Amino acid sequence: MRRTGPEITEALLHGYVDGKLTEAQRASVELYLASHPGKAAEVAHWQHQNEALRTLFGAAANEPVPARLDPQLLARRRTGSHFGVPWPRLAAAAVVLLALGVSAGWYGRSAVFPEETASAILIEDAVTAHALFTRERRHAVEVAASERAHLLTWLSSRIARPIESPDLTAEGFTLVGGRLLPASAYSEAGPAAQLMYENDAAQRVTVYVTAALPDGAGDRVFTTLDSLDAFYWANDRITCTVVGDLPEAEMQMLARKVYAELTRRPDEAYRDI
Amino acid sequence: MQFLDEIAGSVPALRRYARALTRNADRADDLVQDCLERAIRKRRLWAPTGTLQSWLFKLLLNLYRNDLRRQRRRGDHVPLEALGAEPAIPAPQPGRIALAEISRAIDALPGEQREALLLVVLEGASYDEAAGILGIPVGTLMSRLSRARGTLRRASGTEDEPRLRSVK
Repeated sequence: MRRTGPEITEALLHGYVDGKLTEAQRASVELYLASHPGKAAEVAHWQHQNEALRTLFGAAANEPVPARLDPQLLARRRTGSHFGVPWPRLAAAAVVLLALGVSAGWYGRSAVFPEETASAILIEDAVTAHALFTRERRHAVEVAASERAHLLTWLSSRIARPIESPDLTAEGFTLVGGRLLPASAYSEAGPAAQLMYENDAAQRVTVYVTAALPDGAGDRVFTTLDSLDAFYWANDRITCTVVGDLPEAEMQMLARKVYAELTRRPDEAYRDI
Repeated sequence: MQFLDEIAGSVPALRRYARALTRNADRADDLVQDCLERAIRKRRLWAPTGTLQSWLFKLLLNLYRNDLRRQRRRGDHVPLEALGAEPAIPAPQPGRIALAEISRAIDALPGEQREALLLVVLEGASYDEAAGILGIPVGTLMSRLSRARGTLRRASGTEDEPRLRSVK
């Protein structure tokens, strides 16, 4: 197949046309074609086909790429892709979010598809975690308020942001304790710290804190999910979602207090609630 | 982020291939966008046995085929203007082949032959790469190439040339 004489296969002829042959192979194909005009004509036609195909379709690769095909932008919009989450989990999360998006009213950023926004994902996670753990009596928290200093050091280091437990005693709520939760399937915010509070009527409120999203953009959302109220905000340091099932005025008061305690800077986002 | 940069490097080729398959710039870019989103989500599933680009082409092809299947189910055919619109053709024509004829002949090829031919010729994939992307043995790839080229040759009217016996 490589010296003069040996059999020239059809595959070799294709390889010749497509430039896949070694020097020696090419030479033997050329020798063969020189004495087989019929095959030579066929091969020449294939070469013309190749040129024609490149002429017809080649230009698309030289056009400027539109923004919607920029992987960086797509990844940012997709939130959470950076952590490479296994597909089945993402699919499940997408289904849940889609269902929630359809059934729940979204305020604030409702124009955007709920499964696409980081805030919607974080709120969903915060509400899910609230519903799951506030039902628990003995295992409501991982670390109880009796070990408050340890709890806050631990959570601060795991979410990589120093956090305090807001003091809500004036509102009638005391700290039960807290726990660490895994990073959301979609979110780029990393793991979350959940702090749980309780009042004398055994009503519970949770504060769900993560490190800021990569863009660090400020944001604010109030929404109701599964009959739970959620106040969400984000700044360049953290995201925080306050979840509870209290009268709206009371929820607003609590959220404002939590915000004030978790941000030392003057409140801009919550001035008007 | 290196992964994303690498993906970005493949975007022009993906667009070219998608455009040649669909003959519709918007549909092609939709496919590519779908493909990129999927790649970004599924990056963990990319076992670096082949090149990232091969993997992207595989994703793109899957999406394209799903799309075709859906269209067929819906009975929703490609709009006439998309079929009728010949790509803008630069004046100098290579050889004796009329580009418009080749263009039509490509459309008439069975999908699997078109996919193979475009991967090899337009994208310059090696035979191994192309076979991997298409999920077929190299021998199957070669026979698809061969059939595609034979069909194109017959379609682009070379009656004036001596008819070839099928030489083995």
